[in-house]
Amino acid sequence: MAQVKEKHSPEVEKVGRETAVSNPARNFGRILGAIVILLLLIGIFPNLIPSGLNEKFQTFVTIFLGIFIEAVPFLLAGSLVSGLIEVFVDKASLARYVPKRAVPAAFVGSLLGFAFPVCECGVVPVTRRLYQKGLPVSVGIAFLLSAPVINPVVLVSTYVAFGWGPVLIGRFVFSILIAFTVGLIFQFAPPDEIVLPQTDEGHEHDHFAMGAGNGRSQRFWQAFTIAGDDFIDMVRYLIIGSILAATMQTFVPQSTLISFGSGPVTSVVAMMVLAFVLSICSTVDAFLALSFVNSFTTGSILSFLVFGPMVDIKSALMFLGVFRRRVVLYLILLPLLLTMLITVFINLNLGW
Amino acid sequence: MKQTVKVILLIALGIFLLSRLLNGTLSYYIHPRFNVLTLLTAVGLTALGLVYAIQQRKQAAHNRAHEHDHDHAHEHIHSHDVSWAGLLLLAIPVVLGLLVEPRPLGASALQNREINIGNDVSLVSANAPEGSELSVIANAGERNILDWLYLFQRSAEPTAFDGEEAHVVGFVYQDDRFADTQFMVSRFTVSCCVADAAPIGLIVEWPDTAVLTPDSWVEVTGTIQARTFNGVQMPVLVANSVSPTETPSQPYLYQ
Repeated sequence: MAQVKEKHSPEVEKVGRETAVSNPARNFGRILGAIVILLLLIGIFPNLIPSGLNEKFQTFVTIFLGIFIEAVPFLLAGSLVSGLIEVFVDKASLARYVPKRAVPAAFVGSLLGFAFPVCECGVVPVTRRLYQKGLPVSVGIAFLLSAPVINPVVLVSTYVAFGWGPVLIGRFVFSILIAFTVGLIFQFAPPDEIVLPQTDEGHEHDHFAMGAGNGRSQRFWQAFTIAGDDFIDMVRYLIIGSILAATMQTFVPQSTLISFGSGPVTSVVAMMVLAFVLSICSTVDAFLALSFVNSFTTGSILSFLVFGPMVDIKSALMFLGVFRRRVVLYLILLPLLLTMLITVFINLNLGW
Repeated sequence: MKQTVKVILLIALGIFLLSRLLNGTLSYYIHPRFNVLTLLTAVGLTALGLVYAIQQRKQAAHNRAHEHDHDHAHEHIHSHDVSWAGLLLLAIPVVLGLLVEPRPLGASALQNREINIGNDVSLVSANAPEGSELSVIANAGERNILDWLYLFQRSAEPTAFDGEEAHVVGFVYQDDRFADTQFMVSRFTVSCCVADAAPIGLIVEWPDTAVLTPDSWVEVTGTIQARTFNGVQMPVLVANSVSPTETPSQPYLYQ
């Protein structure tokens, strides 16, 4: 497209000058104006609402912004990876590397996190993009569930927090196992009942096929634009998820939850609910889990570390941007039940 | 028009993050180790906004130049067509951030969380991992609340620190469990963002608690003594001075 544009740029300028009101120029004026107003707002009115207005609301805003600001970099990174995949990965080569048979395919999916090291916010746009590139549904599901844990960063942070032991090994083995199992289950469902239809797919592909010969810089340019689209698309779900998580944290006392669970089953339930509500990033949740070691069973710590990265309020909301609603429900329930099964079994029988 | 709003929102979000980073209030929300990441994100969002703006200008020019022969390409930037409600959502973080004065978590958030006061195992315990570098602050006057709690947790004997001098900064917290002459000087510890903030605190003995404003920041100097709180013997900070102070630039403690 750029070629086309450059070729015609003198003509374009002429057209622009001849038009009574130049749209692009006016838009730029608007943008600049808005930026100036924003800067003024930031500079002059930092305290528009009196601080004593409402303590709870203040707490809510602080927690909401905390979750959001912490997650935004990872979502942006995921969107950029998604943009790069769109432009630089073609369907044929992806098909070559992904096994055809169900079991190896789901297994590859659950280890794909090492190839695309993304956490739970970044994984969603990447998965969606890989689906557009023809990734089998089961592989994508296994990737979506396992990648937040099965990647080098989380490996290291868990090792630093817990050292070499049942928690580290259990976290990785069970995450792969559960992601693999859920992926395999979805193998048997037809794809068009799983993934939301992509409104843009058809002509964007045409368009980028056309742009393919345009050289490297042009393709990076396209990747950027796609990343922007993906970011804007997914960040809405992140915002709703952060609002929900912050609301829960502001109004539901953690003590209720924690006093609830010390038994082999109740402790697992308590820690899974906590993981779901807290919605913290998988790269750091090991450090938080460490503070529960003395008062909770090992099984429940594992349930926190395995279930939390797969599903929490904000990632569940982001799933809604990729999958149909019924599928999102399964994506919450299947990991929940499997994690519970494994960790309760550990608590009752193994005594780690 | 929508495209313009998108550009504004992306850039606004970038500027918002940058402003929080520059005026230091970013540490009210996340651990400082994310500062660089936030800076990169602010730059990235602004860059994305600019790419959008330039794409849009090219597109508009392109459309006018080729209105007849290029119909299919016109809408390609509008591919993920986000509704107005969606765009409004996108504005929420910036709007809330601008309208509500940035403040670290305080006493009102504490009511919802378990408080760690050192040696009572029924409370959420042991935030500090074994072998942490916190163990080696030799000068008692330089230990913060977290350091003290860490020491208390390592010792089974509540009287082990009797007579040591302490000087800590925190906010005032009180609830039903506290006698009239007691309050808690508290901080939150954060390992990632405020979503995982865990309150910790030292019980302070001080006759004049009536004049303290809850949630205000104070500087407490005194000595550690074993006392009974809520039926349990534990080390308590017996204050000889409690004076109001500014909110520290790093309101949370990090492990």
